[in-house]
Amino acid sequence: MSTALGPERNLLQPKPESCRMIKILSPIIDNDDLAKLRNISLAGFRSVTLPMRFKTSEGGEGMRSALKDLFETAGAAIRSGATIVILSDRQVDNDYAPIPSLLATSGLHHHLVREGLRTKATLIVETGDAREVHHYCLLIGYGASAINPYLAFETLDDMIRQGLLTGIDHRKAVNHYTKAVKKGVLKVMSKMGISTLQSYRGAQIFEAIGLDQKFVDTYFTNTPSRIGGVGLDEIAAETIERHRRAFPSRPMRLPDLDWGGHYQWRQDGEYHMYNPETIHKLQYSTRTSNYKVFKEYSELINSASARLCTLRGLMELKFADNPVPIEEVEPVESIMKRFATGAMSFGSISKEAHETLAIAMNRIGGRSNTGEGGEDPARYIPDPNGDSRCSAIKQVASARFGVTSQYLVSANELQIKMAQGAKPGEGGQLPGHKVDEVIARVRYATPGVGLISPPPHHDIYSIEDLAQLIYDLKNSNPRARISVKLVAEVGVGTIAAGVAKAHSDVVLISGDSGGTGASPLTSIKHAGIPWELGLAETHQVLVQNNLRSRIIVQTDGQLKTGRDVVIAALLGAEEYGFATSALIVSGCIMMRVCHLNTCPVGVATQDPVLREKFTGKPEHVVNYFRMIAEEVREFMAKIGFRTIDEMVGRRDKLDTRKAIDHWKATKLDLSPMLEMPEVPAHVHVRRVHQQDHGLDKALDNLLLELAKDALEYKKPVEMQLPIRNANRTVGTILGSEVTRRYGAEGLPDDSINIRFTGSAGQSFGAFLPKGISLMLEGDANDYFGKGLSGGKLVVFPPTAATFKAEENIIVGNVVLYGATSGEAFIRGVAGERFAVRNSGAIAVVEGIGDHGCEYMTGGRVIVLGRTGRNFAAGMSGGIAYIVDQDGDFAERCNLEMVDLESLEDAQEEQFVRDLIARHMRLTNSARAQHMLDDWAQYREKLVKIMPLDYRRVLAEKKVQAAKTYVMVHHG
Amino acid sequence: MGSLKGFLEIGRVNFERRPIEERIHDWQEVYQEFPEDKLQAQAARCMDCGIPFCHQGCPLGNIIPDWNDLVYRGQWQEALYRLLATNNFPEFTGRICPAPCEGSCVLGINADPVTIKNIEVTIIDRAFKEGLIRARRPVVRTGKAVAVVGSGPAGLAAAAQLNQAGHWVTVFERADRIGGLLRYGIPEFKMEKHILDRRLNIMREEGVMFRINANIGINVPVEELRREFDAILLAGGATHARDLQVPGRELKGIHFAMDYLQLQNKRCEGDKIPDSEFITAKDKHVVIIGGGDTGADCLGTAHRQGARSIVQFELLSKPPLERAPDNPWPNWPNIFRTSSAHEEGGEREYSVLTKKFAGRDGHVAQLHAVRVEFEGRNIKEVPRTEFTLDVDLVLLAMGFFGPERNGMLEQLGVAVNERGNVATNAEKMTSVPGIYAAGDMARGQSLVVWAIREGREAAKFVDKYLMGHTDLP
Repeated sequence: MSTALGPERNLLQPKPESCRMIKILSPIIDNDDLAKLRNISLAGFRSVTLPMRFKTSEGGEGMRSALKDLFETAGAAIRSGATIVILSDRQVDNDYAPIPSLLATSGLHHHLVREGLRTKATLIVETGDAREVHHYCLLIGYGASAINPYLAFETLDDMIRQGLLTGIDHRKAVNHYTKAVKKGVLKVMSKMGISTLQSYRGAQIFEAIGLDQKFVDTYFTNTPSRIGGVGLDEIAAETIERHRRAFPSRPMRLPDLDWGGHYQWRQDGEYHMYNPETIHKLQYSTRTSNYKVFKEYSELINSASARLCTLRGLMELKFADNPVPIEEVEPVESIMKRFATGAMSFGSISKEAHETLAIAMNRIGGRSNTGEGGEDPARYIPDPNGDSRCSAIKQVASARFGVTSQYLVSANELQIKMAQGAKPGEGGQLPGHKVDEVIARVRYATPGVGLISPPPHHDIYSIEDLAQLIYDLKNSNPRARISVKLVAEVGVGTIAAGVAKAHSDVVLISGDSGGTGASPLTSIKHAGIPWELGLAETHQVLVQNNLRSRIIVQTDGQLKTGRDVVIAALLGAEEYGFATSALIVSGCIMMRVCHLNTCPVGVATQDPVLREKFTGKPEHVVNYFRMIAEEVREFMAKIGFRTIDEMVGRRDKLDTRKAIDHWKATKLDLSPMLEMPEVPAHVHVRRVHQQDHGLDKALDNLLLELAKDALEYKKPVEMQLPIRNANRTVGTILGSEVTRRYGAEGLPDDSINIRFTGSAGQSFGAFLPKGISLMLEGDANDYFGKGLSGGKLVVFPPTAATFKAEENIIVGNVVLYGATSGEAFIRGVAGERFAVRNSGAIAVVEGIGDHGCEYMTGGRVIVLGRTGRNFAAGMSGGIAYIVDQDGDFAERCNLEMVDLESLEDAQEEQFVRDLIARHMRLTNSARAQHMLDDWAQYREKLVKIMPLDYRRVLAEKKVQAAKTYVMVHHG
Repeated sequence: MGSLKGFLEIGRVNFERRPIEERIHDWQEVYQEFPEDKLQAQAARCMDCGIPFCHQGCPLGNIIPDWNDLVYRGQWQEALYRLLATNNFPEFTGRICPAPCEGSCVLGINADPVTIKNIEVTIIDRAFKEGLIRARRPVVRTGKAVAVVGSGPAGLAAAAQLNQAGHWVTVFERADRIGGLLRYGIPEFKMEKHILDRRLNIMREEGVMFRINANIGINVPVEELRREFDAILLAGGATHARDLQVPGRELKGIHFAMDYLQLQNKRCEGDKIPDSEFITAKDKHVVIIGGGDTGADCLGTAHRQGARSIVQFELLSKPPLERAPDNPWPNWPNIFRTSSAHEEGGEREYSVLTKKFAGRDGHVAQLHAVRVEFEGRNIKEVPRTEFTLDVDLVLLAMGFFGPERNGMLEQLGVAVNERGNVATNAEKMTSVPGIYAAGDMARGQSLVVWAIREGREAAKFVDKYLMGHTDLP
């Protein structure tokens, strides 16, 4: 997070002077550093401090002219040699109010860009208004190089003085604060995929919602702002109001500040749609199936439009002159089939809460979602009363927790989570104290160890990769539909078009306002955009490109009432997701402590004592969805629709012209959201036909035929087949058939033995279950053994090959990603990201690229040759063994979470030696042969990579076992 | 929130009451001192909810989670500021509020709620003890004058707020002492009156003026108010008591609760009231009609006066021990409660309808009653359940209809709504511009905490009316 200050010179002609810059270690600077910069006397540097303030008596005009003056003065100063421009709002008094620092900074930044002066000086902001991570991100993103949040520091001083912060002095408090801000900004940058502060500065990767276009053009040039909104005058008015309260003519309040109520609800604070009244009415109505109270709830939510809580609140439904008789409207039962609950993992919420949602959704024919935490196979078996706890939607997220063949086969929808609406760019996070034995088992992870899902899928770096994963998943369960979850943001329509072309059956547009209390506050508040905008864009782009007809559009993000569903339908969605509301119905009272494991109503906790307090019932959730559907019907009748299908995309039934009675909303213009492209009549505006997944061309159709005896009679079969790189995802449909028939058990080892010759395409043996062995003479592409689930994979070069196998790449990148069990023997070198997120498979390979065994939580990996760098990053379970031929492995290993050891005992040595021996037998490996021949020498070169967490857990288990032993003997 | 698992590890502990044998022989408050460290532990039970229902349950919107946490961390002064931000008189509510906040405490879903009220009273008592509660004279005087009629909790809260806003406030009280129901309604054993005096002294020092024995429309003409003041706030309470219209009501020995309580309160103040004018329960068989808080106040008073026997009748049926299904959290729990007075003795009878009184020598001697059942909202007498009871003193604690209409209200010409209360608009103004109403007078009988809220709200709108805008919360 260090950065350089001072003028930048010609990039194309670097000279020694180009390096003359001032390096600061953090973009957040304390008062001393600011003073140094202000009084700098180094040659080539000159600073100037300009006030960010305007005369309140002059109102909006005053702010406008103050900004103009500021820009002109800064320009002149730079022309006459200033290289550091410090914008300061310290000079605020009774008559002058501060110009919001972001407005001044961004405005000046763009002014200087226009004037061609921007690189000649650095902008530093000395301001009282920056305090949260998001504020700093914005200031930096709009051009600031450093920020001195003096008021935040003074607040710390005040807190120390009052005894609110104890055991800490000014310097330390400022350091802690600065460090926290730095971490927060870094996190935001990483979410956006930006690695250096220099690239983030001025990148302005933001979308404005509710800012006037002209205003944006002037001060935030080129920032997308799609629905208009407030301009300088409104901002000035708000600033003056705050100033008036800071300098009141009649001071009368106690020394206390407003409490705001943004993060925790307060009566006089920010309005929250979920507040004591609405939560109570929602819970009471669904528990007692009281539609009257439910209508009171939805009335409260729907009328919150006057409070400007949502974009849909600004829309009006156009009711028909002749409404449809409600009896003619599609029944509740068929509407409910379009409902889904959101992806909340077992782990983030309790077993009880998770299963309640699953049972309820199965009862109404809707879909519940596993979230990314896998699912306990016990739930695949229906309950005696006919209920099913099996989640219809199985999510496949970046960490691939518990994504086994059985998990995939038991789904009727497989959802690829590209991002989460509430926290786009972030993976899920489950703190260690929520990872108990059961959760660890279901996730194939280590109890007590926090689980962080990587933000990206390691097998998706492009839309083609996504298409491949869609194909893989379709093969893993041809009966399931595939869905891709995207986050609403500007440009989501283009991505959705890609998703449609990649043959996804469903695309989910997730809005910004969802998320549990475990989501980071910066993300909850400031990341993503409302689903209304994302959905409107998606539908427009899909229709425009005639792709809408082959993909279902789903949306979610704080849908709460029947009216919300109706608006989602009119904007173009066929299906609707609910999460927070469903949890509230189950008893959630929005404590916002989901990350602390202390949920007092047993919803978001794994603590057995607290879980007992869970009172939610599937009936309540069913009641909720019934009442939502009933309300949808009422609106449909009024608008004049008999079926939801008719209603999808009918934006003409929405009205936004009615001005909202609020001085800040009058300039909003939602009409761009309602525009529909002119398309020929044959272009459909909703899904009318299935995607062509191309499974009929899969090699597996032949394999199924040839393996008939094994599939039907468990008779071992063997076959030999040629293969070429057009044969993708080979063995996966066959595997799904084995799992469908024989469950997690699979077939006895080697029941289906197939020997391929040639070059295999991508995802060879993906999700292969137990009982199938694939031998490949030749080589394979990327994703070899992706999600391996008990099967056996062997690959070796053609016997006729003359090259040294151990020195040549034989399989591509991302091998064994997310494997849960099974074995792989690879005679040759694998590419990058080998066995990332492996949680149980055993693999022997003769060399690998960078990032091997990243985030691994289980299994064994033996590398007989060199590894790339960053080995074992984030590895919390399983063990790797490396033959450290040159003695330099430690340099390439990421030692944050692992220790390097030697083998423990003879038993372990035997285990490794046996595996190498098997590798030799199966692949005819010369390398293995050589090692076994000279074992005494090579055993010394074996390095064991042991995750610290895993060692702790193994030790605990040993103690536990010893205790049990003692008890048995004494008992 | 200081303690993450406080609610799991610490159980609710209430203030302890003094031994019954001791307390029924004096008039002092019934609660004992509670150790500070134990109170801080109680504050640690607060979960600092994302949506604090207590904060909604409290009519004042007290920011309960904030001060709970501050108390837990020993930040008493900060806690005080946070408390005073929404409540002018926590020393009153902390003693006599039934604490709807606790009824809506999220912990109450499946455990005992936080002892919010005890924490509140400790914060303010401690602040008084440490001298933190000092007069804060307004910095700027507006030169505007406001008359507040009625010195109960609504009037006092409004006066305090309006004074802070810089107006000259005069509070008119028809009784001989300031305080309204706080003074003469609440028995000493629930709130010792020096608590009230202490607050009034501060208000005087801050510049609020008080006029006692000033009955507007009777001995102070309404024209004077109109002439002398820029705005008028009516906070005269709902003093029109509900009567029991049954044969024998005219007999001696049947009194309204307020008359009874007031006399004892005056004696506690040190007033010399001859026995002939006093109402005492000493050595009498007492029946209290009405099962509410006022009834309980009569009960505790009668205990202390030395009643021979006391029975309290309630028309409604006995509430359940736990919440009924149609009375879910976070609504106020309609459950069977035992106040300090109930603990001290007496019997409670539910579903009883008093039919008539019989007398001897013009004095009540017997009460005739019958048991009733409810069918929905209809009362049905249960055949053959009639009974009689010997009685020397009957106290009617059956609530209030609304404000007294003759006199001031009539002369001011303010409209009355269908419920008999002074009609006000959303900004608390009556039908007469510049005249506002708050508290029971506008709302009908309610809690002290509602009165304070009403007074604060009205003050805000009076300030806005006078100045064009307001910064009052």
